[in-house]
Amino acid sequence: MKISRRNVLLGATAAAALGPIASRADTPEVAIGVIYPLSGSSAQIGVDAQKAFETAAEIINKDYDFKLPLAKGEGLPGLGGAKIKLVFADHQADPQKGRAETERLITQEKVCAVVGTYQSAVAVTVSQTCERYQIPFLSADNSSPSLHRRGLKYYFRASPHDEMFSKAMFDFFDALRKKGQKIETLSLFHEDTIFGTDSANAQSKLATERGYKIVSDIKYRANSPSLTAEVQQLKAADADVLMPSSYTTDAILLVKTMAELGYRPKNIMAQDAGFSEKALYDAVGDKLEGVISRGSFSLDLAEKRPMVGMINEMYKAKSGKDFNDYTSRQFMGLILMAEAINRAKSTDGDKIREALAATDIPGDVTIMPWMRVKYDEMGQNNDADPVLLQYLGGKFVTIAPQRVAVSEAVWPMPSK
Amino acid sequence: MDKDFTSRRRRELIIAAFFAALAATVPLFVKDVYIQNIMVLTLMYAALSQAWNILSGYCGQISLGHALYFGLGAYTTALLFTKFGVLPWFGMLAGGVISAVIAMALGYPCFRLGGHYFSIATIVIAEIALVLFQNWDWAGAALGIDIPIHRDSWLTFQFTRSKLPYFYFALVLACIAWLVTWWLEDSKWGYWWRAVKDNPSAAESLGVDVFNSKMGAAAVSAFLTAIGGSFYAQFVSYIDPESVMGFQFSLLMALPAVLGGIGTLWGPVLGAVILIPLTELTRSYIGGSGRGVDLIVYGLMIVLISLARPQGLVGLFSVSKKAVSR
Repeated sequence: MKISRRNVLLGATAAAALGPIASRADTPEVAIGVIYPLSGSSAQIGVDAQKAFETAAEIINKDYDFKLPLAKGEGLPGLGGAKIKLVFADHQADPQKGRAETERLITQEKVCAVVGTYQSAVAVTVSQTCERYQIPFLSADNSSPSLHRRGLKYYFRASPHDEMFSKAMFDFFDALRKKGQKIETLSLFHEDTIFGTDSANAQSKLATERGYKIVSDIKYRANSPSLTAEVQQLKAADADVLMPSSYTTDAILLVKTMAELGYRPKNIMAQDAGFSEKALYDAVGDKLEGVISRGSFSLDLAEKRPMVGMINEMYKAKSGKDFNDYTSRQFMGLILMAEAINRAKSTDGDKIREALAATDIPGDVTIMPWMRVKYDEMGQNNDADPVLLQYLGGKFVTIAPQRVAVSEAVWPMPSK
Repeated sequence: MDKDFTSRRRRELIIAAFFAALAATVPLFVKDVYIQNIMVLTLMYAALSQAWNILSGYCGQISLGHALYFGLGAYTTALLFTKFGVLPWFGMLAGGVISAVIAMALGYPCFRLGGHYFSIATIVIAEIALVLFQNWDWAGAALGIDIPIHRDSWLTFQFTRSKLPYFYFALVLACIAWLVTWWLEDSKWGYWWRAVKDNPSAAESLGVDVFNSKMGAAAVSAFLTAIGGSFYAQFVSYIDPESVMGFQFSLLMALPAVLGGIGTLWGPVLGAVILIPLTELTRSYIGGSGRGVDLIVYGLMIVLISLARPQGLVGLFSVSKKAVSR
């Protein structure tokens, strides 16, 4: 082709026209992938999660006077005020679909970071895919301890894992024992997926180490149609503490079956999940007075940190619900990821990873009861203290740790 | 054997070769990994459904427990690789053989059951296997097996980002499953199976070895299904009991064949080509809302297809129409 003057002119015009687009593409929006079950049996979790993430994005993108990273001012100052854009994907609780959706988010939607996933099994493939594309993944609400021990470089988790949760429970038992309470025997009751298995493994290990006797250890099939035989065993063992690790539907069935068979456990210390879901207390709350559940969040924190209450109101306006254990961690997950992106001043996966690894945020600028946020070399934050909550008079009150507790534990739990 | 029949079979082979060649060139134009992923899944399900079709379509023994063989294939490969360092290629064959043997061992008592009782037995056995694997600590129990990523290699059949090797493997697998079916259709076994399907007593009275025909169909079907399972383990590089042995997998394998035309050569392929992209695309592009619209659309499509073409989509094409009516 002969280069004519007109062609040169055309080229120059085109370049001039493209210029602003190219430079605008560097700053305008920062896409973050959010991957949750949005259909299937845990769809409600995903729908609530969406609202939590939207609340977090709103706080980052608009100007709010909270003592929370990125709340003041609009967007990410480190990236010229770029706004956070959330791209949601549905993994239907299937590891294969989680992998495919992550790949789509990274290659098609060009997200620079991924947050997820509720189910631990899906977190395995999602984090693995992120690793392959060198995109950081923040595990907002997965609690399986095996996740951060796989030697992944791009995996981060700010919230506690099940071993930390179980440790908090046994610390609590030890403290009660010192005060003269009789706690000797435990019954473990757990479902058979990763969550229940990991939880029970951690609990039996701690029980042996600290001299508690496990009188029954019952693993049941998740979403079981009947738990009668299992509850019979629990009743026969009648341990000092029953420790269930169950999702919502199983937890409801467990409580109903116990009532039918006339079994009233002396104490219940639950591993979150179903026992922090509103649905359980709506269905059988009258039978649960005095139940203790571990959690990673407590609204009681609002008394000491008013922003917790205000942010909760924002979330409530969207979802009609208070923050719970999951939605609070999801909210915080996005804030922490955005905070790192802001410090990285880039949407490059490696730079964000470095920024995440250098994170050191004191706990009181979060909405969580944590000491601080600082990831170890495996990407786990070991300063995320869990809380213990007791269900009394129709609501949860924080009973441990001391720093955030608002009342003393009622032990043993009321017998009616 | 009339001339018409032989030439039709030859024509089918040519058509298949044409489509396979066409499919092989698609990745030259489609570079998007997400779309490539859908193509891999489509081919995988085409192969799996073809395998299911051998036992359930041709031989008429409706199995709703094929997830068992799929899972056995996936677990054999993954366990041999992670525990003993055996290359997945050998694991794949081992998984296939183990599955075929187990299919025959299970068939021995179960093929005495007629009709629906057989189907129920297959569901129950697969569920038992699922529970066993969920509790088998050495095999990872509920935690599953995470296959560590090393570097890209055909030897270990691992590729960090590229989907092409998986695509071509799945294509070869689908072609093999198709060819096996094509070849069996006109073999002694193929005729025996159809006779068993139509009327076992009449077939028996004409000298068909009913029991052994069923055993043969089960072995071939399980072998191919297990290869598919091995492939899945390598492709996803993480397996847990629920995701490779769950009941939904048994249905997902049957669905393309049922939708496309049960007991036909082209049914499973056609069903998979329509069904898999439909599920994946609806989930990805309208599933993000959290309102379940994708599942409604998906369900509606299946209902409409079943209403319009109860004998399967394959009836829409004249070449295969003869295959249905034969």
